[in-house]
Amino acid sequence: MSGWMQHLIVAPILLPLAVSGLLLAFDERRRTLKRVLSLATVAALVGIAVMLLWLVSDGFGLSPASAPRVYLLGNWPAPFGIVLVADRLSALMLLLASLLGFTALFYAMARWDRSGPRFHVLFLLLLAGINGAFLTGDIFNLFVFFEVLLAASYGLILHGSGTERTSASLHYITINIATSLLFLIGVAMIYAATGTLNMADLATRIPDVPSGNLALLEGGAAILGTAFLVKSGMWPLSFWLSRTYAAAAPPVAAIFAIMTKVGIYIVLRLTSLLFGQAAGGAARFADDWLIWGGLATMLFGTIGILSARKLSRIAGHYVLVSSGTLLAAIGIGGHAVTAALLFYLVSSTLALGALYLIIEPVGRNVEEEDMTSGISEPVFDDEYTGALEEDEDESGVVIPGTIAILGGGFIFCTLLLSGLPPLSGFIAKFAIIDALFQPAAIAPASWLLIALIIGSGLATLIGLTRAGIDLLWTPSEDNPPRLSVIEVAPIGLLLATCLALMLSAGPIFLYMETTAVALGDRSAYIEAVLHAPRANGARP
Amino acid sequence: MEIALALAIGILTASGLWLLFRPRTFQVVLGLSLLSYAVNLFILAAGRLRTNAPPIVGKEAADPALYADPVPQALVLTAIVISFATTALLLVVLLASRGLTGTDHVDGEEGEP
Amino acid sequence: MTDARLLLIILALPFLGSLGAAFLPTRGRNKAAALAGIVTLAALLPTAAFYPTLAHGETMRLVIPWLSSLGLDLTVRLNGFSWLFSILILGIGALVVLYARYYMSPQDPVPRFFSFLLAFMGSMLGMVLSGNLIQIAFFWEMTSLFSFLLIGYWHHNQSARDGARMALVVTAFGGLCLLVGFMLLGHIVGSYDVDRILGAGDLIRGHALYLPALILILIGAFTKSAQFPFHFWLPHAMAAPTPVSAYLHSATMVKAGIYVLILLWPVLAGTESWYLIVATTGLMTLLVGAWAAIFQQDLKGLLAYSTISHLGLITLLLGLGSPLAAVAAIFHTVNHATFKASLFMAAGIIDHETGTRDLRKLSGLAHFMPITATLAMVAAAAMAGVPLLNGFLSKEMFLAEALEAHSGTVLDLILPLLATLASIFSVLYSVRFIHQTFLGPPPVDLPRQPHEAPRWMRFPIEVLVLLCLLVGIIPALTIGPFLATAVRSVMGGRTPAYSLAIWHGFSLPMLMSATALIGGVGLYVLFGARLNGFSQSPIIGHFKGRRTFEIVLAAIIDGARALHRLLGTRRLQVQLRLLVVTAMVAGALPFFHFGYGRGPRPDTLLDPVFALLWMLAGACAIGAAWQAKFHRLAALVLIGVCGLVTCISFAWLSAPDLALTQLLVESVTLVLLLLGLRWLPKRLPAVWPGERVPFHVYLRRGGDLSLALLGGVGTAAIAYAMMTREATDGLSRYFVEHAYSGGGGTNVVNVILVDFRAFDTYGEITVLAIVALTVFTLLRRFRPAAESIDLPEQQRRQNAFDDAREDRTRGDTVRHYLLVPRVLMEWLFPVILTCALYLLVRGHDLPGGGFAAGVTASIAIILLYMASGTRSVETRLRVQPVHWISAGLLCATATGAAAWVFGYPFLSTCFRYVNLPVIGDMPVASALLFDIGVFAVVVGTTALILVALAHQSIRSPRARRPSERSREGAD
Repeated sequence: MSGWMQHLIVAPILLPLAVSGLLLAFDERRRTLKRVLSLATVAALVGIAVMLLWLVSDGFGLSPASAPRVYLLGNWPAPFGIVLVADRLSALMLLLASLLGFTALFYAMARWDRSGPRFHVLFLLLLAGINGAFLTGDIFNLFVFFEVLLAASYGLILHGSGTERTSASLHYITINIATSLLFLIGVAMIYAATGTLNMADLATRIPDVPSGNLALLEGGAAILGTAFLVKSGMWPLSFWLSRTYAAAAPPVAAIFAIMTKVGIYIVLRLTSLLFGQAAGGAARFADDWLIWGGLATMLFGTIGILSARKLSRIAGHYVLVSSGTLLAAIGIGGHAVTAALLFYLVSSTLALGALYLIIEPVGRNVEEEDMTSGISEPVFDDEYTGALEEDEDESGVVIPGTIAILGGGFIFCTLLLSGLPPLSGFIAKFAIIDALFQPAAIAPASWLLIALIIGSGLATLIGLTRAGIDLLWTPSEDNPPRLSVIEVAPIGLLLATCLALMLSAGPIFLYMETTAVALGDRSAYIEAVLHAPRANGARP
Repeated sequence: MEIALALAIGILTASGLWLLFRPRTFQVVLGLSLLSYAVNLFILAAGRLRTNAPPIVGKEAADPALYADPVPQALVLTAIVISFATTALLLVVLLASRGLTGTDHVDGEEGEP
Repeated sequence: MTDARLLLIILALPFLGSLGAAFLPTRGRNKAAALAGIVTLAALLPTAAFYPTLAHGETMRLVIPWLSSLGLDLTVRLNGFSWLFSILILGIGALVVLYARYYMSPQDPVPRFFSFLLAFMGSMLGMVLSGNLIQIAFFWEMTSLFSFLLIGYWHHNQSARDGARMALVVTAFGGLCLLVGFMLLGHIVGSYDVDRILGAGDLIRGHALYLPALILILIGAFTKSAQFPFHFWLPHAMAAPTPVSAYLHSATMVKAGIYVLILLWPVLAGTESWYLIVATTGLMTLLVGAWAAIFQQDLKGLLAYSTISHLGLITLLLGLGSPLAAVAAIFHTVNHATFKASLFMAAGIIDHETGTRDLRKLSGLAHFMPITATLAMVAAAAMAGVPLLNGFLSKEMFLAEALEAHSGTVLDLILPLLATLASIFSVLYSVRFIHQTFLGPPPVDLPRQPHEAPRWMRFPIEVLVLLCLLVGIIPALTIGPFLATAVRSVMGGRTPAYSLAIWHGFSLPMLMSATALIGGVGLYVLFGARLNGFSQSPIIGHFKGRRTFEIVLAAIIDGARALHRLLGTRRLQVQLRLLVVTAMVAGALPFFHFGYGRGPRPDTLLDPVFALLWMLAGACAIGAAWQAKFHRLAALVLIGVCGLVTCISFAWLSAPDLALTQLLVESVTLVLLLLGLRWLPKRLPAVWPGERVPFHVYLRRGGDLSLALLGGVGTAAIAYAMMTREATDGLSRYFVEHAYSGGGGTNVVNVILVDFRAFDTYGEITVLAIVALTVFTLLRRFRPAAESIDLPEQQRRQNAFDDAREDRTRGDTVRHYLLVPRVLMEWLFPVILTCALYLLVRGHDLPGGGFAAGVTASIAIILLYMASGTRSVETRLRVQPVHWISAGLLCATATGAAAWVFGYPFLSTCFRYVNLPVIGDMPVASALLFDIGVFAVVVGTTALILVALAHQSIRSPRARRPSERSREGAD
C-alpha cells in the first residue's frame, strides 16, 4: 500500500469533514449545490469503504492472516502518535455506516433536509464522527470522535425543532454529557494504571499490570464500559433511547440505527483486544455483566414492543432488542457466536434503517404527521423562516399503487425484524441459535438467549402486524398518501441489500467467520500497530 | 497534597452530583460544570502530582524525570474545550425547552419541585 | 443428474409466475388465471414424469452450496412420498386455479390473488422438496406468510383481518418452535440433512434432548395442522375466498404438519412420549372437530371443523406408531384432500349462486343445481366413509388400527369405542350437510335465485369426485402403486404388508363402519331437525378458542404495559440516578474484589495555602449546591470561585497551559450563563399543601444526598489511590524527549496538542464547529416564555425616566453610566487582540496556543459588545462567525493534508526557526498553520454562540406586542 492509496484509511474521516467545511462557506440558499455535494460525498464514502474492505481482506480473500492496515497520523511511531487501524471489522462497520448514511441522506432529499438549516453539514459531520470511532486505535481519540458524533447527533435530533424534539434532546444531551464525564474518568484511570492510551499498546501492557494496579485498571475499564453501554442502550441505562429516536426526523432516526452499534462495536473491540483470554488477571472480567445485562435489555425491549402503541416506539424498542442480543452474544463469546452476531448486526441495522424510513409514509394517510413541526408562526420579526415556506414542493414523481408498495415494504421490514424468511433476518437468527447449539453442553444463559430471541421475534411480529393492519388494511376513505420515488428508492435499496445478504449468505458468512477468528487472536492487530513502518523514517 | 486534592475532587463531585439530581435545568447545568472541574482535576491527578516543575523543556535533550507528565495535561485541555462546548449547547437547549414548554423542569412538565 | 436440475426449475416456476402476476393490470382476471394455470401445469407435468425414476424407491437429490459453513445448503430432494405430496399440491392447485377464475369477481384485484396463490404453491412445493430441515422451516414460515396474505385478501372486512392475523400469529409461533426443534435435531445428529437425520433414529430417540426437540416439533406441526388446542384459527381462516379454503385450509397447507410428522415418523415415532402426546392429541382433535362440526350452521364452518377432525384422525394414526397405521395415515391424507377440496368448491358454488352459506336458509337445491348436488353428495358420502368411495377404505384401515393398538394404556380399551363414535359423528354431519342443502322443499327468500354453476366451474369438482370413485372402487389399479412407492420411501425396510381391498370379509372394522353409518343416519333422523336450533356446539362451544386467544393476547399486552411502566421511566432524574449508581458500582466492585489501599508513592508535602484555597472552594461548591435553586446569580458566582481555584491548582501543579485555558473558558462560560439567566423564570419557594414539605420529598432528597456523598467519597478514594501509586513508565517520556527535537516546540503540552496528538485537536475543533451551528440553529427558532419577553425591570425604569424628561431621549441613561467602561473597553479591544496574536504565535514554546488565543480574541469581541451595544458594534465591524469556522476547518485540513504532497501521512509537520526582531526567534512550524486553523474555529464558534445569545434580547417580539417595535433600541 503505497502512494496515495496509503491515505485511504484516513479518507472516511477527512472527506466528510472537508466537504462540510466547504459547505459552510456557502449560504443556505444554494440548496441544490449542497445536496449534490453531500450526496456525492456519501457515495464516495461507500466506495472508499468497499476499497478498504478489499484492502484488509486481500481482495475479499478469506485468510484471517491478512493483516490490518495502520495509519500513523503525524508520522509518529505507535504507540506515541494516534493511529488509525482498518481491519476486517472496522472496514465492515464503515461500509455499513456509509450504506445506511447514503440511503438516509437520499431519503432526506424528499423534503426533510429543508425543515431546518445546515442539515447536510451536520449529517456529514455525524458520519465523520462515526467513521472516526470505527477507525481509531487510541482510546482518548475515541473519546474525541464520540464527542464529534454526539455533537452532530444533538444537532440532528433538534433538526426541525418543535417541542417534543427539544425536550427529548434535553434528556439526551444531559445524559450523554454525564456519560462523557464517565468516559474521561475511565480513560484517566486506565492511563494511571498502564501509562498508555493506544489500544494495541494497552493490550500488550495489560497482562503484566502489577496486581496493585489491577483494581485501578478494572475499575477504569468498568466505568468506561458503563459509558459504552449507555451508548449501546443497555437496560437500565437506555430509557432515553426510544423517545429520542421517535422524536427525531425519519432520516435522522434511520442513521441513528448505526449509533447504538458504535457502542456495540467498541465493546466488541475492547473485550476481544484488551480483555480476551490472554489478558492475565483481568481476562474476561465483564462477560457475565454483558450476558445478563444483554438479556435484561432484550426482555425490556420485548415488553416495550408489546406495549408500544406507535410504530416509532416499536422501532425504538427493537433497537434495544437488537442491542441486547448483540451484548449477550458478545458476553457468551466464541468464534461461531461472534461470526453470527456480526451477521445479525449488519442485518438488523439495515432492517431498522428501512423501518425508520418507512414508518412515516405508512403513517402518513392516517394521522397527518406534519414535516414542518418546527415551523410554526414566528414570534420575532427577524426570525429565520425555514426554507419550506418559500420554495416549491419538489418531492419527486408520485408513483401509483402506493399502498401496494408501502404494504410490500412494510411486510418485508416485519419479516426482517421478526426473523422470518425469506430475508436475511431468518439467516441471522438461525446463525446465532446454531452457534449457541455448537457446544456439547448448552449453557443456561444460551437457553435464555434463544428463548428471548424467539420471544422477541414473536413480539415484533405481533406488534408490527397489529400496527400494519391498522395502518394499511383498514379501509381509509381519503385517497392514499402521496409517495415520491425519492422516498421509495432508499427503502428499496435497503431491503434489496438484505435480500442480497440472504442470497449470498455463504461468502458473507465466511467473511464474518474469518473476522471473528481475526478478532480472536489479537497478535496480528498488535503486531500491525506497534510495528507499523513510518513514512521514510525521518521527518521532512 | 494528594489528600487535599482528593478531598477537593470529592467535594466538587458530591456537590455536582447533588445538583445533577435536581429537577431544575439550570441546577443541572451548574452541576455538570462542577463535575467537569472535578473530572479535569481527576485527569490531571492521573499523571501523579508534581509541584513547581518547569513547564517548558530546554532545547537540548530533556530529562523526563524533571517534568510533570504532559499527557494528562493535553487530555485535560481537550476535555475543557469539549465540556465548554457541550455546556453552551445544553444551556441553549434548556432555554429553548423552557421557552417551548413554559417550564424549566427537566421533564418539560411540572412535577413536584 | 439433469433431472434434479429440472426439479429446481419446477420449484422456481411458481415464484416466477407469482412475480409475473403481480405486475399484471388490476383487472386482468383472465390473463392472471391463464398465467397461473399454465405455470401450474408446466410444473405438474414434469413432476408427474419423474414417477418412473422414483418407482423403485430411489431418492433424487441435488445439493447447491448456500450457507455451507452452517450446514445449510439448498438441498432439493424428491422421493416417492414427497412426489405424492407434490402431485397433490400441483394437481389440486391446477384445479383450484381453474375454479378461482370463475369464483373471483372481475371487480377484485385478481392478479394479486393469483400472485399470492402461486407464491404459496411455490412455498409449499419448496417445503416438500426440501432435503434440509432448516430449508423446510424456511418454506414452512413462508406458507404461513402467504396464507396470512390470502386470508386477508378481502381485508376490507374485519373478520378477514382478524382471521388472517390470528392464523399468522399461531402458525408463526409454531414455526419458530419447529425451527428450534429442528435445530435441536441438528445439534443431536450434527447435520441438518434430512437423510442424515433419518439415518440416526436410535441416536435421536436415545438422546437427552429428544423430548424437548419432540415437543417443539410437535407444537409446530400441531399449530399448522390445526390440532386441538390450536385448532381454533382454522374456522376463522374461512374468511378467505373459498378457493383458498379449498386449497390451503383443506388440501395442502394444513397437511404441512402431517407431512413433517410422516417425514420424521421413522426417527421420532415409537417412543412412549410420542404415543402419548401424538395419539392423545389426535384423538381429542378427532372428537372435538367432529362434535363441533355437527352443530355448525355455516357451510364452510361445518367443512372446517370436519377438516379439523379428519386431521385429528391422521394424527391419531401416526401417533399409534405402527407401520400399518402410518400407511393408513398417508392414504387418508390423499383421500381427504380429494373429497374435502371438492366439497369446499361445492360449498363455494352454493355460496356463489345462492348468496348464502347458512344451512338454516338453504334447502332443496338439488332441483336447481342437480349436477353440483350429485357431485357434492358423492363427495360427502366419501367424507362419511360410505363403501365404494375412497374415504371408506382409509376409514376401514383406521378402525382396524384402532382395534390393533397395544400400548398397555387405557387408550387400548377406549380407542375402538371413541373411533366408532367419531365415525358416527362424521356420518351425522355429512348427512346433515347433504340433506339440509340439497334435499327437502325448495328454499325461500334466498338473496339470489339459484341455478347451475358454469360448466368449467364445476369441472374441478367433477375431476376430484371421479377420483374419489375410482380410488374407492378399484384402489389397487389407481392409487395402489403410488401409495406403495410413497410408503416404501418413508418406511423402507419396515414397510408392512397391506391390501387395498374393498372387501376383507366380515370383520370387526366392517361392523364398526356399519354401526357408524346406521348410527349416524339414525341420529340425524331423530335429532336432525333440532340441530338448526343450536347457535354454538354444546360442551365444546364453551371452549371459545378465538376468545381465549384474544384474551391471552390482551393479557400479554396489558402485562407488558404494566411491566414496562414498572421497569422503565421517562423522568430524567431517575435515569441520571441509575446512571450514577451503575457507574459507582462498576467503579467500586474491582476495589472490593482486589481490596483498596493507598499505593507506595510518598505524599508530596502539603502546602497550607493550597489546603486553605480548597477549603474556600469546597465551601463555595457546597454553597452553590445549596443556593442554585433560588439564587442563581449567587450560585454562579460561587461556582466561578471554584473554577478560579481550579485554575490556581492547575498552575500550582505545574500545568500553566491548563490554568490559562481554564481561566479563559471560565470567563466565557460565565458570560454565557449570565446571558442565559435572563430567560429563566422567577423561582418562587414551593408551597406545599399543608405548609409543610411532604415526607417523600425528604426521602428523595435524603436519597440524593447520600448518593452524592457516596459518589464524592468514591471519587476521592479512587483519586487518592491513583495518585499514591507509582507512575508506570508510559508515553510521557517519549513526548518530553522528542518535543523539541521532533516537534520543534519547547512547550510539550502544546506540541502534543498540535503535533503528537493533533488529531485530537482536529476532532475537538470539529465539535466546537458543530455545537456552534446547532446553537445558532436553535436560537434562530428561539421563542422565549411570554413573561420574559418584556424588557428587564431596570431598562424599563431607565426608559421611563428618560421619557419623563423632555431634554433627554430614550437610552441616554444607559449610555451615560456606561460611558467610562465603554471608552476603556473600546481601547482595550486592540490590546487584547494583540495579546491573542501573541499567545497564538508563541504557543508552541510558551503557554498559550490556538485555543487560548481564540478564546481571548472572542473575549475582546464580547467586551466590545458589552460596552457599546450590539447594534453599534455590528454597524462598525462585521463578524461573520460561520465563515471563520469554515475557514478554520479548511485551513486545518489543508495543513494536515499538505503532508501528502511529500508522501507523509496526514498532519505530519515540519518546522524551521526564523529570528524576528522584538518577538525573538520564532518557530515557523506547519503546526502553527494548524494552530491558526484552531484559532479561527474557536473565534468563530465563541463569537457565534455569544452573539446569537446576545441577539435574543434585542429581537423585537412580533404578534404579541407590536408597540414593542417602536420602543426597542435599549441594547
